[in-house]
Amino acid sequence: MSIATTHPADPHPGHYQPAGLLRWLTTTNHKDIGTMYLTFALVMFFVGGAMILAVRAELFSPGLQLMQPEFFNQLIGIHALVMIFAALMPAATGFANWMIPLMIGAPDMALPRLNNWGFWLLPPAAILLTLPFVLALFGIGDGALATGWTFYAPLSVQGGMGIDFAILAVHILGISSIMGSINIIVTIFNMRAPGMTMMKLPLFAWGWLITAFLLIATLPVLAGAVTMLLTDRHFGTHFFNAAGGGDPILFQHLFWFFGHPEVYILLLPVWGLIPHVLATFSRKPNYGYTAQVYAFIAIGILSVVVWAHHFFTAGMPIPALIYFMFSTMAISVPLAVLFFCWIATMWKGAMSFETPMLFAVGFIVLFGIAGLTGLILADVAADAQYHHSYFVVAHFHYALFAGGIMGVMTGVYYWLPKWTGHMYSETLGKWHFWLTVVSFNLTFMPQFFLGLAGMPRRIPDYALQFAEFNAISTVGAFVLGLSQLLFAWNVWSCVRGGPKAEGRAWEGAEGLEWELSSPPPHHSWETQPVIK
Amino acid sequence: MNAQTTPATPAAPAVAFSPADLARRRRAARRLGWALGLTVLAIYLLGFLLPR
Amino acid sequence: MTCRILQPRATGHSPVAAFVRRALSTVVAVALAGPAAAEMRFNFPEPVTPLARETLAIHNEFMLIITTLFVVVFAIMIYSMVRHRKSAGHPPARFTGPRGALQWFWALVPFAILLFIDFVLMGIPAVQAIISMEDTKTRADMVLKVTGMQWKWQYEYPDSGIKFISTLSTPREQISNADAKGEHYLLEVDKPVVLPVGKKVRVLLTSTDVIHTWWVPQFGVKRDAIPGFLRETWVQIEKPGIYRGQCAELCGKDHGFMPVVVHAVPEEEYLAWVEQQKLAASAAAGSAERAWSRDELVAEGKKTYDKVCVACHQADGQGLAPAFPPLAASKVVNGPLLDMNGKVIPGSHVDRVMNGKAGTAMQAFRETLSDVELASVITYERNAFGNKMGDMIQPAQIKALR
Repeated sequence: MSIATTHPADPHPGHYQPAGLLRWLTTTNHKDIGTMYLTFALVMFFVGGAMILAVRAELFSPGLQLMQPEFFNQLIGIHALVMIFAALMPAATGFANWMIPLMIGAPDMALPRLNNWGFWLLPPAAILLTLPFVLALFGIGDGALATGWTFYAPLSVQGGMGIDFAILAVHILGISSIMGSINIIVTIFNMRAPGMTMMKLPLFAWGWLITAFLLIATLPVLAGAVTMLLTDRHFGTHFFNAAGGGDPILFQHLFWFFGHPEVYILLLPVWGLIPHVLATFSRKPNYGYTAQVYAFIAIGILSVVVWAHHFFTAGMPIPALIYFMFSTMAISVPLAVLFFCWIATMWKGAMSFETPMLFAVGFIVLFGIAGLTGLILADVAADAQYHHSYFVVAHFHYALFAGGIMGVMTGVYYWLPKWTGHMYSETLGKWHFWLTVVSFNLTFMPQFFLGLAGMPRRIPDYALQFAEFNAISTVGAFVLGLSQLLFAWNVWSCVRGGPKAEGRAWEGAEGLEWELSSPPPHHSWETQPVIK
Repeated sequence: MNAQTTPATPAAPAVAFSPADLARRRRAARRLGWALGLTVLAIYLLGFLLPR
Repeated sequence: MTCRILQPRATGHSPVAAFVRRALSTVVAVALAGPAAAEMRFNFPEPVTPLARETLAIHNEFMLIITTLFVVVFAIMIYSMVRHRKSAGHPPARFTGPRGALQWFWALVPFAILLFIDFVLMGIPAVQAIISMEDTKTRADMVLKVTGMQWKWQYEYPDSGIKFISTLSTPREQISNADAKGEHYLLEVDKPVVLPVGKKVRVLLTSTDVIHTWWVPQFGVKRDAIPGFLRETWVQIEKPGIYRGQCAELCGKDHGFMPVVVHAVPEEEYLAWVEQQKLAASAAAGSAERAWSRDELVAEGKKTYDKVCVACHQADGQGLAPAFPPLAASKVVNGPLLDMNGKVIPGSHVDRVMNGKAGTAMQAFRETLSDVELASVITYERNAFGNKMGDMIQPAQIKALR
């Protein structure tokens, strides 16, 4: 396509264009910011991964070998916070920054300076989150947050200053996410090219739109909950202290009012991008576009009314148990719509299996396991056995690693040629895929059985009957972790060079983003496209 | 607008975002952005006032 | 910090070498024995209560349903992936949704099936299970009160006035790999709960500090113990035996080290145990009245310390900085015992032990320890770890302070 070539060489003559570090610090360009988000996410993915490999090494055999329980508790909580807030969410925001303007024919995000600020809040927050580890080495404080990522009061009221650091970090990460969400919503509402009606919006943009609204509705609740925690810790309030008229369970309600939608916040962008990949490599238009949009909306609404299924064992009245059980089960209906549409998109296509397609198919199968085990976790009686056990750990890693992270990898492989103008190594990509899928299942399938046999989560040491499955899981985790180095190497090589990618990098790719050259010019869609 | 030719025809260049149009869109975006931001603040603050 | 992360090992070899050795031996063992190895379980342990049986039945039914769904859905997808390939020369279709009544019908059938599964096939047994789960009061034969505390369980039988603390009995040497691990490693306690078989026991749960969760997998029971609130569940054990479980909610440092052990015995045996406990309790009550010598108190206090205090303040009284302060050379421990009127001085040693310190893991032991235990452990702490206060406090004095 030649639209890109019609741009003038310098669209903003006389504009200040710093180079080097200052360029990245001051940039308001959605592509630069997208790149920074994605790079940050990749780095933090390895930070969070290293933490959990230390945990898995400790869990390799019964007995305490490598660390004391306090340090173990810090690693598991910070691992979760890093992976959720500093790896998965920034990766999805990076996708949004890069792709939404290209996909809807906008010259940039609507609020570019807000965009820059949203990103640059992340590194300080990540430092705050992990700083207590470093301070403890110098004898200051007693290390990072040791309550798990859920901050449950009163354990978090009792803990050390790592909790205050985490509370502050969560506030900053929340502000950053809110800014990103506002920007995405106003960009989608105001910056679409003429003819791009809401029902022609790419599914990726739809997925992100629902995510952004969920963030706006729920993040302030999390922020409120952790602020109350902070005042309980230092300013003598008793929000969560029963002796002072408060209620520890209130914290769980507030936390999971955010926490459950958070799962869909992490997954909706992925559900948005998977159909693009499936359609491209099946060389066939998406099946059930409208149905998928309505499924996104339905999941968005349902996600904020099911939170209490995360703490059935805390005890609640029978009507509440039944309500939260059935509303949770109801989510299976819109989710099944998505699965149906994904498979129907592949049906009778002309499929080929390049790395993005492999990851997309792997995502569908493994995320299917997460969805199905989620369905039975909704059952109150069965949940009494699964809850707080390794069964739940396995379940949400099928959702957030196989669903979230493998979904992000699908997107990275799919759009890398567009971003860099080069093709990545298909051979390395396939190795990465197969190693990831096999070692992922080796890591987490045994954890389902551990949970059923009665192993609680978040314990640094365990009874002898759990030894075999734990050893297998640890071996799997190390293969899984090391395989991701292939991914980093493949991405890095692709940024550096490789076979030239065309504007339409994939044979079957449809959509405005593929009308531009690869890589797209620094300022794209200054001439607006018109949608058929 | 809808009467325009399709983007698939390079010979017919698409219409540029006019500076006025772009400015109008950015203004609308800023207004909505502030509204959303204030909503967030309202949810955050209202939480502290709820009777326990 | 580093010295606490890398704990000293009794044996000389490096953790990395041990890790690699075990990794290799495990891979070999798993390859040879296969998944049929005796210790690898793939389902719930044997249920011994009506609730656990119901839960297992539900779990098995659900597993069957979701496995079927998984196989059917992905068989269709894999068929498509094999047949509709570009390399197999399949031309791509262009459809984007159901066309015509018949296609609409077939598109909607899966959702009808799903709704049926959700709300009938799974829903009806689920609601029945909830109702029986929550029915803690009907025809309950006795009450057991369970109190979670960092990091032990207290059990109380209100009908017979029995009350005791149950802590992990696995020796520290086994945990630090200095000794070989026993059969019930981490799942053994000094004093198990004893319950009669065949009786419906209403279990009330609460906590003194943070949230704990009482869980015995074979009972199908898991319920949170929440400070300041009372939660309840019930068990009716059908088979005598020893049942083991663990705390299931992260409750701090030793969350992994507070097991639950229940001895289920026939009713006569249970009644005999109750009588024996009552005798022991009245003997202890009598001993609270008499005057104790300091040596007696120190000896008795060491027992209490090793059971209740050692997890945080450590065997040598050095604590674990910074969260758990040392008792050796502590200003609080080496401070005055009581004021001139025999009352508690705020912030003093006696105050800390009896009333705890807000905002820390130091809990109030006023309600959980007996007069003798409190008096002896305070006396012990003042005369151990190099502390040489030389004074003592009598159980009778503690009783007067309550």
